[in-house]
Amino acid sequence: MRPMLALLAVALLTGCATPPPAGDSEAVAEFRANNDPLEPFNRRMFAVHQVVDRNVLRPATVAYRILPDPVRNSVRNVLNNLRTPVVLLNDMLQGQSVRGGDTLGRFVINSTLGLGGLFDVAENYFGVPVHYEDFGQTLATFGLGEGPFLFIPLLGPSNVRDLAGFGVDAAAQPLTWVGQGLAVNLLSGTRGLAAALDTRDYYFNTIDEVNRTSLDPYATLRSGYRQSRAAAIANRDATGSRSLP
Amino acid sequence: MLSPLQTRRSLGLLAMAVVLPTLTRAATAQVDTSRATAFIQIAGDEMAAAINQPGLGAALRQDRVANILKRIVDIDGVGRFVLGRFWRVATPAEQQDYLRLFEASLIRNLAGRFGEFQGVRFSLGRTQSRTEDDALVSTVVQRPGQAAFNLDWRVGEIGGQPRIVDLIAEGTSLRLTQRSEYASVVQRGGGQVSALLAAMRQQAGR
Repeated sequence: MRPMLALLAVALLTGCATPPPAGDSEAVAEFRANNDPLEPFNRRMFAVHQVVDRNVLRPATVAYRILPDPVRNSVRNVLNNLRTPVVLLNDMLQGQSVRGGDTLGRFVINSTLGLGGLFDVAENYFGVPVHYEDFGQTLATFGLGEGPFLFIPLLGPSNVRDLAGFGVDAAAQPLTWVGQGLAVNLLSGTRGLAAALDTRDYYFNTIDEVNRTSLDPYATLRSGYRQSRAAAIANRDATGSRSLP
Repeated sequence: MLSPLQTRRSLGLLAMAVVLPTLTRAATAQVDTSRATAFIQIAGDEMAAAINQPGLGAALRQDRVANILKRIVDIDGVGRFVLGRFWRVATPAEQQDYLRLFEASLIRNLAGRFGEFQGVRFSLGRTQSRTEDDALVSTVVQRPGQAAFNLDWRVGEIGGQPRIVDLIAEGTSLRLTQRSEYASVVQRGGGQVSALLAAMRQQAGR
């Protein structure tokens, strides 16, 4: 929470976007639809993110993608399995008992028959695919608005509600709190690193595509993020948007 | 218990309740959902056949996909929608220039994207009529070894023929996203459509 507040304070100090004159109704409608009063600040954060992505995240992911598909799929399966408590909690908070049952059933099947989550037996043999839920979506189903759009270096597009949700999900992840000592730190560091690589790998082609074809990648990501979140909140997409915790 | 008169009246109301929406829907719906679905089914099969044809090089494959897209997408309509309020600001020469650049970029980007979908299969989902003018045909895109995703095709009736007016991947609309992108380029270029045209021309040259 505290880093987020600090970030917001910086955002407010470094300037806001100038709204269009009230008479230009189409420009005003567009300004509202973009939901980006902090645009100058966000664009600076995006520029920082692009530099880090070009020099660190993307090259690391290119190296990770040398691993054969089955290996990377198993990494993804294990990470999905470890996310179970967070997804289950949010399924339940949203009153989605069927989806909650899916989440719990998948965990039991994949942890046992799937050898500790390495194989997605639940999807491949029982036809129950993975889905994601996060606290940002839960807050949305409670009726909370998204708040201004935010671009966070390393995390990507977000908004005040989803960023707060991200913090809650990280806190709700039991592995955040389990034990201490070198072995535990190493394991949780490995999980964090794997989650970062897997997520960047998941969006690899999409991000390349946006950077190659968009005349304004920032505007494309901003619009795409808002639309895909709306679909995830309404459970209209195939899996629900992914998050790291 | 209802009296015979009441029964008749409520039956009449029921009949009206059933018939009226059908009538109004028939009056406003421009594209028949079953026609839209059949159109997408044929288009999807045709695209999959071109993408999956063995022994075809990447360039030839993209050419085939591009030719199909030119036939089934309402390119001018999408182009105008994407330019939005700036269409009216543009001079006739700029409009013409824009539509030419837009067609080239849309076809290049879509053919490039679809061309990479090796082993693709589009399976039909449920079809819903969403607005007065369009039908929304949902498909699931399946590729071997890749996660399936939802792709909805918005189909409008253009000059008496069904044509694709938008693609919606996992809830993200192509034309809405692109409208946002172009509006941002125009605005950052001082509200001038010429700034967008310059950026499009530069990209086409790359």
